[in-house]
Amino acid sequence: MEFKRFLKGLQGIVGEENVVHHSDDLLVFEYDGSVDRGLPEAVVFPADTQEVSQVIALAHEAGVPVVGRGSGTGLSGGAIAPPGGIQVAFTRMNRILEVDTENRLALVEPGVINLDLDTHARKSGLRYAPDPSSQKACSLGGNIAENAGGPHCLAYGTTTNHVLGLEVVLEDGKVVNLGSLARETVGYDLRGVFTGSEGTFGLATKIAVRLLPVPEAVRTFLGIFPDVETACTAVSAVIEHGIVPAALEMIDALTIQAVQKVNDAGYPDDAGAVLLIELEGLQDEVDEIGEEVEAALWETGATQVRTAEAAEEREQLWVGRKGALGALGSIAPNYYLVDGVVPRTQLAQVLGQVTEVGRKYNIPIANVFHAGDGNLHPCLLFDERQPGALEKIVEAGAEVMRICVDAGGTLTGEHGVGLEKKEQMPLVFSEDDMAAMVLVRDAFAPDNSLNPGKIFPDGEKHTPHAHPASPGMTI
Amino acid sequence: MESSLGDRLEQLLGGSAVLPVDGYEVDGLTPQAVVRPADRLQVSEVLRWASVERVSVLPRGGGTRTGLGNVPRTADVVLDLGRLDRLLDYQPADMTATVEAGVTLASLQEQLASGREFVPLEAALPSRSTVGGILSVGTGGPLSHAYGLPREWLIGIGVLSPSGVATKAGGKVVKNVTGYDLNKLYTGSLGTLGVIVEASFKLLPIDPHSGTLLASFPSIAASLSAGRKLLHSQAAPMGFHSISTGVSRRLQDSVQAASQDLGLGDEETALSFAFFSGRAKATRRRMEEAAALLLAEGANAVQRIENSAAKGMLRWITDAPSEISPSSALVIKVSVQSKSAARTSAECGDILISGEKPDQMADPGFGSIRLFWPRLPDEQTGSADNEQPVLDAVQQTRQIANRYGGSAVVEYCPLPVKRQIDVWGDAPDSLAVMRNIKDRFDPSGILNPGRFLGGI
Ligand SMILES: Cc1cc2nc3c(=O)[nH]c(=O)nc-3n(C[C@H](O)[C@H](O)[C@H](O)COP(=O)(O)OP(=O)(O)OC[C@H]3O[C@@H](n4cnc5c(N)ncnc54)[C@H](O)[C@@H]3O)c2cc1C
Repeated sequence: MEFKRFLKGLQGIVGEENVVHHSDDLLVFEYDGSVDRGLPEAVVFPADTQEVSQVIALAHEAGVPVVGRGSGTGLSGGAIAPPGGIQVAFTRMNRILEVDTENRLALVEPGVINLDLDTHARKSGLRYAPDPSSQKACSLGGNIAENAGGPHCLAYGTTTNHVLGLEVVLEDGKVVNLGSLARETVGYDLRGVFTGSEGTFGLATKIAVRLLPVPEAVRTFLGIFPDVETACTAVSAVIEHGIVPAALEMIDALTIQAVQKVNDAGYPDDAGAVLLIELEGLQDEVDEIGEEVEAALWETGATQVRTAEAAEEREQLWVGRKGALGALGSIAPNYYLVDGVVPRTQLAQVLGQVTEVGRKYNIPIANVFHAGDGNLHPCLLFDERQPGALEKIVEAGAEVMRICVDAGGTLTGEHGVGLEKKEQMPLVFSEDDMAAMVLVRDAFAPDNSLNPGKIFPDGEKHTPHAHPASPGMTI
Repeated sequence: MESSLGDRLEQLLGGSAVLPVDGYEVDGLTPQAVVRPADRLQVSEVLRWASVERVSVLPRGGGTRTGLGNVPRTADVVLDLGRLDRLLDYQPADMTATVEAGVTLASLQEQLASGREFVPLEAALPSRSTVGGILSVGTGGPLSHAYGLPREWLIGIGVLSPSGVATKAGGKVVKNVTGYDLNKLYTGSLGTLGVIVEASFKLLPIDPHSGTLLASFPSIAASLSAGRKLLHSQAAPMGFHSISTGVSRRLQDSVQAASQDLGLGDEETALSFAFFSGRAKATRRRMEEAAALLLAEGANAVQRIENSAAKGMLRWITDAPSEISPSSALVIKVSVQSKSAARTSAECGDILISGEKPDQMADPGFGSIRLFWPRLPDEQTGSADNEQPVLDAVQQTRQIANRYGGSAVVEYCPLPVKRQIDVWGDAPDSLAVMRNIKDRFDPSGILNPGRFLGGI
């Protein structure tokens, strides 16, 4: 099919105003939050499942690859259009269809913003637990595709532990339901394997997720430590007490400096690490366990410990952590965030090795991470205007990933493989392991026309492009 | 032919790996051979051989749930994984552990207890139930409301494909999105896609204190409505279960003794269990508030039990379905949205087989209701006269489950009935995708043929 006719077909389905195809207008869809880039041929904004189904069926017939797009905050290039492909953007499908308080679940369209769902649920004393740091901007559809995590996933699990059912459109336009509103269903757990499939199995058009009750009490602890190693011993001490906090986050000295420059979070200038711990539960639990946490922080060498229970005061303690990535813009024009995971006990040692990488490549590295999960986020700081800077950064990033794998960890804890890490997949998985994964993709999408070219290595060199350190969001 | 598969397996692995077939029947089918490999290399050899010869293979852990699933199309070789029983790696400070699939749940929990941790898997008969079997079945137990299903705790898996090729997915870290999450695919696939040989889990610390509230109610309906109120309160337990009289009549002595003051005499009386654990003070407060709430919501009486006795109750409830099933005419597990549990229980409670109502074990938090129709003493198993009422009850239960958007799995029924139904119920609209997966993973269809949904 000739492209013009294809375009007409798309316009016929969603209306002319809902197809973007002029090259100037397409530029904003060339990026997501990653260091990759790819111009789509067109971006389509469907209004409902039926339109999605028709668009995909038409593209399939025309042999045009399709990639879904939520909010474009992805950090592994997941939403980057494949060559000759179109994007299906879910911006218009952003309704919260139902919050069922009796059943503690919500039914939403994929374009709903993560934080909007949580805010809405809280009106009924419920909440949506997975809270990526990008929650003000990212969509539930994108969260499903990446199996997003967040600070509170330590206690409550990541997105996959909260998805009940999905309505998805397959590559030929067929609509199927995976999972259900009940907790248990029969047959293979397709909603489980769909979650985290990075948009390659189908496009989710309706999403049912579990909501949890808001706890009676929440207490946040902020510990200031002389250095990251000491803060890591505090993490181990807390775990050793048989405590699984709701959240356990850390930022290092360079991040602290950046945060202080942008927005005084009250951290001392010479602080080497800030540890944030949050406890939730009955007041009695928070009191009893809180005492143990506080003692553990002092015993392991905290120089200051602050606690808060009232919502606004807790918010104040979180300010530095939540604004950390945005603040990095104050010390370097660009950052490249690596998303490695290691066993919790390896954290201190691996962070030491990461520092070595920074020294070797002469790159400043700021660390902001989910310490409780062993999920590190070294941010490699650079200036893309310097020739060769980006290539150097990507090389150093690959080295960090290798360090994580060697320490018994893996390439990505929450951001996905996408384009970014696909050539590194053989560090973790054998040909046979990947072949089994591809069998599942073939079962969902035999023609591999949804988000092709992602996740699995194909020998193509990763050619990154920089993006600014403050992605225009207040995260 | 009879002995030839066994002979060939002996040639392949040596005589000690091949066992007599007695006691290994599956749904009335006697396998031609039973093989018990020493390690995963031998498992792989068996599979490679079987896939070339197109010999059907039925993987087996502790054999506690071999009755689950449709009657297999063929049952050539039973593959007993019991010798793969090592704990491979346990790091208490990481709160993760990696085990071989044949390790029993009891032995695993015992080893993890040395690090004051446990894996939140639940299964009946834990000293026989293996990790591989629990994952393949994929279901939970009385604490599913709090812990969810085995899928929530599995972080990595090692599988042998039907042709014996070793593959893995996930890893040993608690958070991981590297590659597709095949952990989810294998969990609950009833051994139809590959043979699980290794699994890694995330763990939880053992709670220092646990307690159970036992409460009697005038009816199961009353107990379920009180249970829902409790589950929606700050005093919510980890799990809540109500059982009808027929089930409470089988209470083991210790539970019986604990419940003697609850007035369980009446036919309609239901007994409820609310399970708590955590720090001592908070647990006591929860139990106090919960007891008050249950009384206010119509409980006849409430009894409080703590620590080891409380754990005994949990054990009893977890084991009860497998204890009761063999003496039942039909056992169905209905899964619905939690808000529909009470209505489902009420409607299913009116379905009769030979004039008898089902006994029930209902979990209004997770939304699951097990129905046990008693087997009449004079009943001739397998006689055609007795099949129709059972088939009718299956049909009626399914209609109710469907109406509430749920499912109804036949867990136990006479063989002649089983041969006529799909125990998993009606196929969802995604069955075609499931078939695609099975065809690609197991093109010659040798693993557990026909046992899964839609004849997969
Ligand atoms: C500052 C910052 C902080 C972040 N913090 C976190 C964090 O703490 N935890 C975390 O997990 N991530 C984090 N992220 C990454 C990102 O926000 C998440 O991956 C998020 O889930 C992406 O959502 P999105 O709507 O932006 O998806 P997009 O970037 O638009 O798309 C991501 C992928 O989802 C696919 N997709 C989108 N919609 C659908 C659909 N309906 N059906 C099928 N596939 C679809 C796309 O094709 C693509 O492959 C962060 C990002 C930034 C920029």
